[in-house]
Amino acid sequence: MDAAVSLKGVTKRFGSTMAVQHLDLLVPRGGLYGVIGPNGAGKTTSIRMIMSILFPDSGELTVLGHKSALEAKDRIGYLPEERGLYRKMRVGAFLTYIGRLKGVADADLSARVPRSLERVGLAGTERKRCEELSKGMQQKVQFLAAIIHEPDLLILDEPFSGLDPVSTRQLRELILAEHSRGATILFSTHVMLHAEEICDHVVMIHRGQKVLDQPVAAIRSQYDPRAVRFEPFEPGADVSPLRALAEVERIDRADRGYEILLKEGTDPASVIRRIAMAIAPARIELARPRLEDVFIRIVSGESGSVETESKLRADLREAGEGAVAV
Amino acid sequence: MRKIGHIAAREFAATVMTRGFIVGLLLMPALITVFAIAGPRIFSQRSFRAAGQIAVIDPTGVVAGELRATLDPVAIAARREKDARQALAQVPEGVREVAQPSAGSLETTLGQIPDLHVVERPSGADIQQEKEWLRQERPNADRHLALAVIHPDAVTPAGDGAAYGTYDLFLTANLDDRIDNVIQQNLRIALVAARARAQNLDRDRIDALTRVERARSVVVTKDAERPTSGPLSRALPFAFTFIVFFGVMMGGQTLMTSTIEEKSSRVAEVLLSAVSPFELMAGKILGQMGASLVAMALYVVMGVALLVSFALFGLVDVRLLLYLVIFFVIAFLVIGSLMAAIGAAVNEMKEAQSLMGPIMIMLVAPLMLQVPISQNPNSTFSTVMSFIPPVNSFTMLIRMASSAPPPIWQVWLSIAVGVASVFGAVWFAAQVFRIGLLMYGKPPDLATLIRWVRAA
Repeated sequence: MDAAVSLKGVTKRFGSTMAVQHLDLLVPRGGLYGVIGPNGAGKTTSIRMIMSILFPDSGELTVLGHKSALEAKDRIGYLPEERGLYRKMRVGAFLTYIGRLKGVADADLSARVPRSLERVGLAGTERKRCEELSKGMQQKVQFLAAIIHEPDLLILDEPFSGLDPVSTRQLRELILAEHSRGATILFSTHVMLHAEEICDHVVMIHRGQKVLDQPVAAIRSQYDPRAVRFEPFEPGADVSPLRALAEVERIDRADRGYEILLKEGTDPASVIRRIAMAIAPARIELARPRLEDVFIRIVSGESGSVETESKLRADLREAGEGAVAV
Repeated sequence: MRKIGHIAAREFAATVMTRGFIVGLLLMPALITVFAIAGPRIFSQRSFRAAGQIAVIDPTGVVAGELRATLDPVAIAARREKDARQALAQVPEGVREVAQPSAGSLETTLGQIPDLHVVERPSGADIQQEKEWLRQERPNADRHLALAVIHPDAVTPAGDGAAYGTYDLFLTANLDDRIDNVIQQNLRIALVAARARAQNLDRDRIDALTRVERARSVVVTKDAERPTSGPLSRALPFAFTFIVFFGVMMGGQTLMTSTIEEKSSRVAEVLLSAVSPFELMAGKILGQMGASLVAMALYVVMGVALLVSFALFGLVDVRLLLYLVIFFVIAFLVIGSLMAAIGAAVNEMKEAQSLMGPIMIMLVAPLMLQVPISQNPNSTFSTVMSFIPPVNSFTMLIRMASSAPPPIWQVWLSIAVGVASVFGAVWFAAQVFRIGLLMYGKPPDLATLIRWVRAA
């Protein structure tokens, strides 16, 4: 009963295209969930159905205990993937307007608007027209519009798309701050790294179907690559002594160094020590499972798909260029 | 409802506070004022003066003399004043007071008093030879303007029961049409005078005998009497149609543009996270209608002020203004919601053009129909049109403002039809709006819109 969002067997098609198929999803209150997948996977459609902007063809859906988000709109914050501002409107007036639509009293807004602008480093921009702000500043204002009413549930569709690294970091901090305030957060991204850094739970969608739904920690242990990344101190150093180590199964060249695959049941800490003793390292680290690799492993392995790995990676990269999402 | 109010308030403020709206609002009265002040100067005939010589070949021996007397400046001035007085007797009192004729105002409308001189030629002169006279170049004041050849029977008919003869007129090249008119007018007056004298009749007496002043008719109603509004009752239907047309057109256009802007700037989805598509559409339509009502109120107030200042306001039924608002609201809601739907369906302004076609026909049709309807407000055609949305609002207003208004049951039936059409249009628009607002890509055609509505 403490689910912020719950989807059971939700299906949506557009003409002959199946956008979302029998999707089950449960986001507990206070959770920080990431929905990941390449473009066209059905992330935005799912989010729009959660927001009651689109309606499922079949399946059940509850949001904050209601059958429809329309009944709880004032408690939900939403940052759509395609987001905009009234260009001619003043920043303060825009946030006040959105706040009013979200049911915040005028008295509260008069204090909340300047305070939130100050929080994101936009103090003094209240009287400026939205079009006078830089793109990064506009994105901050858009985010503020999504949280101006201090929502219980915050849904962010590709919040990091188009942001520079500094803005990305700022936005990440703001999302985490909202989470520590108590908001449940559900966001979608095609940049798997963002999900890895922020989420405590990841849901992967591919071609409208859920392919993974696990806590990040569990994914890490389940998809542990059992590998060590190693870069010798002297470039071109002979690594053949490493092959003699009992724990090493295989050594592959990777980037400027090597990826050393370990045998099952090996203690990584002791191997790292022994490698460092054999050849002086410039860098040696345990390889962490990357969500992108996990995604590709699942999609090309478990779903029985014939897609090649390179094609999948290309898809993910294409998604990164911000094509229109379904 | 509260959210619709917030959206309407923003839409209203965003429209009314723009420079474009204020300029557009003031442009019309400013143009009228400029026209009223500058118009008489721009179109003044004051600089026009017919001056020069007219050669007359007059076998009757009397017409040339009469023409000379007719062209006497004092006689012309007297005639002009008399004509002006007679014309003014026909206009309502309020207008008459401000339009008293003066020598200056008469010159403005009719031009300066002509300075024309008669040059009598021998009655047996050769016409071909005389035409050479017309070809002679002369300075302006002595310019050879025309050669009038009076027919021998122009004053006395050739026999019993025969018709009067007339005259031939030859003009110099490049002559102002207005001078031709002045010459012919004066020739006519001179001929009539000569004919009257030949019969021993008094010209003034003939004028008196043939003149019957037109009466100002009075309408007797149940509890009062009022003079007929005359030209006003002809102008009022046009004024009403234009007010509604411009209000709906401007408001609808702005509504469509602002919807396209919200869609293309991607604010729409942000708003849809806070309000339902119907609330968004309803708020936008109401806000925009408020802006149009402000513009309309301003024009109505100005119109009323103008009527009051000419003491003509008593001629207008005040209830008409109430019906003007009712029918305006109906027309706006129907057309406005359809335009909002188009705005939501397309991605940019130029894509809207093809879908706008049917709406433009709906809007322009009443403008084309207003002449037949106002001329015959109770014909079968007019009656049928009063119940076909969306032209019913315009048709009913034209009929009600005419001198023969329809029975009241027809008015209310037309309102009922209008209200039903509002529900239909808003329902249709809401379906299109809901789907279209988040649909990007290929712009839909009319068939697609209908498919969306069916699917919704």
